[in-house]
Amino acid sequence: MDNTDVNVVYSVQHQLPLVMYIAQYFFFTGLSAGSFVISVVATLLGRKEFKPIGRITAVLAPILLMIAPLNLIADLGQPLRFWHLFLFYNWTSPITYGSFLLTAYPIMGIVYAVMVFTNHQTPAKILGILGVPLAISVHGYTGFILALAKARALWNTAAMPTIFLVSAMVSGIGLVVVVAAVRWKWFDKSATEEQRAKDRKLIIQLAQFMAYTIMLDLFLIVSDILVLLTAHSDAYQAGMLILTGNFAPIFLGVEIFLGSIVPMVLVLGPTRKNLTAIVVASILVNIGVYAMRFVMVIGGQTIPLS
Amino acid sequence: MATLATKRYAMVIDMRRCIGCHACTVACKAEMAVPLEVNATWVKIIEKGPYPSTRRFYLPRLCNNCTNPICVRNCPTQASYKRDDGIVVVDPHRCICCKYCIASCPYDVRYVNPFKNIVEKCYFCQHRVDAGLEPACVESCPTRAMVFGDRNDDKSEVSQLLASNATTVLKKEMETEPNVFYIAGDETAMSNDEKNINYWTEGTFFQLRL
Repeated sequence: MDNTDVNVVYSVQHQLPLVMYIAQYFFFTGLSAGSFVISVVATLLGRKEFKPIGRITAVLAPILLMIAPLNLIADLGQPLRFWHLFLFYNWTSPITYGSFLLTAYPIMGIVYAVMVFTNHQTPAKILGILGVPLAISVHGYTGFILALAKARALWNTAAMPTIFLVSAMVSGIGLVVVVAAVRWKWFDKSATEEQRAKDRKLIIQLAQFMAYTIMLDLFLIVSDILVLLTAHSDAYQAGMLILTGNFAPIFLGVEIFLGSIVPMVLVLGPTRKNLTAIVVASILVNIGVYAMRFVMVIGGQTIPLS
Repeated sequence: MATLATKRYAMVIDMRRCIGCHACTVACKAEMAVPLEVNATWVKIIEKGPYPSTRRFYLPRLCNNCTNPICVRNCPTQASYKRDDGIVVVDPHRCICCKYCIASCPYDVRYVNPFKNIVEKCYFCQHRVDAGLEPACVESCPTRAMVFGDRNDDKSEVSQLLASNATTVLKKEMETEPNVFYIAGDETAMSNDEKNINYWTEGTFFQLRL
């Protein structure tokens, strides 16, 4: 049967269930998890020059993670019933893991931040080591939310949680670079010339680490798409949707080109010592990751199911 | 309730009999008070073949009330659950409308009721079935293309149709084990291959309510 001879006269497609709130929520948890991991690395290394980074990120992580669930509650059709999540939990649903993780993680993040700011190194280190798996699961489970929604071919891949984690690292580092650069430029005047030079070098190193994470992210995305294109027909459609379909401009243009390639060139290329270029790259990275959340969440649902 | 546990409700839809009259759609709308814009039951229509050898094919669609439902597995509050007789229902007082079940369903048969702000679906007309009646769509079908009954009862019409006909289900690859079976369902009508449905992906992007 030649497909061009088929005409669908009537069918029903219901409105997309998951909207921008969800994409935005994924973006914020990603930022939080990314900055928390950076903070713990800075605390664990314990070197003096990492201290400002450790402090910035320790504050960012819980704040971002308090913004994130607001998106979720706003998305509920019955926001006042959110407590059903805790009382009537269902262990086969990733949202149930999420509701408990989303409660535990900000509390731990706040305690950790207090420890970092009051200079209690040992408790901060212990909390940090305990917190990294928590931070990873609080963002990793969002990948499982998509991966376990079996109906949508774009989501239902084993790579999804890892892609979400790696892009969370990318956007988290990007945010930390921006905040650290702002601090260095306007709020760091009292420090000595030597200290300022050290801080500047640290920001550049952080940006380079971000560029390497982007490479890992790109590898995961390429492998995901390659498998999508060679798997069953729904998966092929999903792959083509983001490569040539409605979502191609945002996926290829914003996520891949503006959000990954351009920042990588800016950070590793001839402008690698230029702080302005690095900040621009970090902002682009965040725009790219936001676009990725949009393409994944919204794009994954636009393929008709019937 | 002991008798309920031994029942296993299923529906067989004979596509050789369906004339695409949409009586099931209308009956469902009336019986379940389904609002505009959403449908618990509808009839998909496709036209196939180059002129003049062309034909219309119909596909009545409703919730498959799967034996292994992804929506129930993914519901975070146990609002979606399976009754002992296999009907998948949503508890309207438990549902928080996170819409994850809609995202998980491979058949797009769940929807948000815009007035109640909860997720609804086809319940095989559980209130009618419990009272010993047939679902509204089945009762309204003028050609008796839809047959509803107990699969565990060997003498029921459903069991006999299932035993004596070649049947298919929608999206077998999803491992949901649907309880709605189609006799002589057209493969193109039953697939969601996007190459076939160009008309409605156009403009979808701008119609999104974000």
